[in-house]
Amino acid sequence: MYKQQVIRRIFLCFFIVLLLPISLLAQQKIEAVAGADTTSIRIGEQVKVQLRATIPAAQFNKPAFRILFPVLSDSLEHFEVIARSAVDTTTQQDLKILRQTFTVTSFDSGHWEFPPMKVEVYGATDASSFDTLTTYPLGIDVNTVAVDTTKAFKPIKTVQTVPWNIWDYWMYIAGGAAVVLLALGLWLYFRKRPKKVPEVKLPLVTPYDLARQQLKALKEEKLWQQGDIKQYYTRLTDILRAYFEHQFGIAALEQTSEELLQNIKPVTKLNQQRDKLRALLAIADLAKFAKLQPTADEHEDCMQKAEEILEWTRPKEEPANASANEKPAV
Amino acid sequence: MENTSSDIRQLNEKIHQASAFVDLLSMELGKVIVGQKYMVERLLIGLLAQGHVLLEGVPGLAKTLSIKSLSSAINAKFSRIQFTPDLLPADVVGTMIYNQQKNEFVVRRGPIFANFILADEINRAPAKVQSALLEAMQERQITIGDSTFKLDDPFLVLATQNPIEQEGTYTLPEAQVDRFMLKVVIGYPTREEERHIIRQNLNPEASSPIRPIIQPSDIIEARKLVREVYMDEKIEKYIIDIVFATRNPEEYKLQKLKPLISYGGSPRASINLALAAKAYAFMKRRGYVIPEDVRSICFDVMRHRVGLTYEAEAENVTSENILSEILNAVEVP
Repeated sequence: MYKQQVIRRIFLCFFIVLLLPISLLAQQKIEAVAGADTTSIRIGEQVKVQLRATIPAAQFNKPAFRILFPVLSDSLEHFEVIARSAVDTTTQQDLKILRQTFTVTSFDSGHWEFPPMKVEVYGATDASSFDTLTTYPLGIDVNTVAVDTTKAFKPIKTVQTVPWNIWDYWMYIAGGAAVVLLALGLWLYFRKRPKKVPEVKLPLVTPYDLARQQLKALKEEKLWQQGDIKQYYTRLTDILRAYFEHQFGIAALEQTSEELLQNIKPVTKLNQQRDKLRALLAIADLAKFAKLQPTADEHEDCMQKAEEILEWTRPKEEPANASANEKPAV
Repeated sequence: MENTSSDIRQLNEKIHQASAFVDLLSMELGKVIVGQKYMVERLLIGLLAQGHVLLEGVPGLAKTLSIKSLSSAINAKFSRIQFTPDLLPADVVGTMIYNQQKNEFVVRRGPIFANFILADEINRAPAKVQSALLEAMQERQITIGDSTFKLDDPFLVLATQNPIEQEGTYTLPEAQVDRFMLKVVIGYPTREEERHIIRQNLNPEASSPIRPIIQPSDIIEARKLVREVYMDEKIEKYIIDIVFATRNPEEYKLQKLKPLISYGGSPRASINLALAAKAYAFMKRRGYVIPEDVRSICFDVMRHRVGLTYEAEAENVTSENILSEILNAVEVP
């Protein structure tokens, strides 16, 4: 009894050992199968033909391994290829499954065979190996439409009106609404925008007024009375130069006395006071650069000359300003 | 020492008397030199301020005649050195020559041993000869062998440059040009002056020769007075403003000049501007400097001290253009 059990176990082991390489071989096998979603269509109907290749995943690790799916032309015998999907790869345990779907139709009625497809495999066993896997042909019945010849012919239908649907026009409606809203927004904005407050124009100090003010300030500072003669004449000539610059556009601040006397020539009004200006500048230059101590009379005289030049060249007031200054008639 | 009002008045009177020779000298030179008052005036400024003059102008503008006449009028020694590419330093300063009779080396002095030197076309000689001359100008002494010789006083070098022929020339480096107090650009005479020149040259007997008006010692005395001319601190500030505007134009609202100036005036520019302004005031018979004096000589003192960038050269901007902009922007005291 015990002996029989031992023999049975030995046989079992033998079978297991015998079947193992077969299963391994089955796992390593590369297959290509073609299938259709239907075998019978009406003329012009579409059928999806799927080509599936099963490859052991280990094959993809080989550097030379390459698998090429067939390139079907648009027209096959009795069949038209309408679309081709991309090759889709899925993994299932140790296998990789490559799939490609062809959408096919036929306009020839009858029983036709979709031709076998060839999948080319390179480098499966060694770098230079080449194999071709061929699928079985697929039989597809292409049927015509059954016509009831017993019934009379019907006339051709007239053009039918498509029923109106608001959603067909939603883009136009939305655009129109946006334009109306924008216009409304702009109208509200401009209506409620704070009105520009007219700028209050402060009365500008004219060069003449400025010079008058500065001369007055210079007098009040009593510089020469305090012995600061150089500063007195520097300020006095600077006031006049700045006045000439702003009133007549002569770059007097950057000009020497001689240059200034030359450049006032085109300004007739100013040129009429040339001698006074020359005398004033001469004394001022001596006081500024030669430490000359003019007498008190000369100081006063220079100030008077400056005022006279200013008065002589005083610009005529603008009519607008003049009328503004006038008292309203009662 | 602080100058008082009375000091300046006395100085003014003193200078008024002492500078009388300037008018006489100008009149005497006017006998033979027609026009070119500007150049003669600058020569006198150089003479009085103890500075040398670089003259730029085409040939035939009476450069040699001017300096020769000036030396005659001052009763001074004149020599002319024509600078050529094969000139040697010894040809300018002198050399040691072996005397067979005495069996010894003797010094043969070069043409630089004179009061007035005309270094004609200075840019035609190589750098070593230029350096020999410029060193003598600076040091005012010459060393030949073991002996050092002081140059005569007054000593004025008038160097000329021809602006049109630049091929085969050795342009003076900026450092060398800076040693000239003034760079004077002279132009052609007017039509009237040209007519006088023709007449004078066709009838040379009609013009009387130059007579010595003053002696070299008078010039040395005048130089002392020039240094005494009063310069107010306002004028000093004005000079500094001008020189600084060439260095940092953006500080004087002249940003547009910044890319045009590669380098501005050196402190030597300020010194020379002050000295030349004093000499100009002296010539105008004043004992004090006014802004006009500074402006009058500003171009001559500064034009060779303002370096131009490639951008400026590409845009044909000259140092005179830059100086004009600066003078129009810097406030006059």
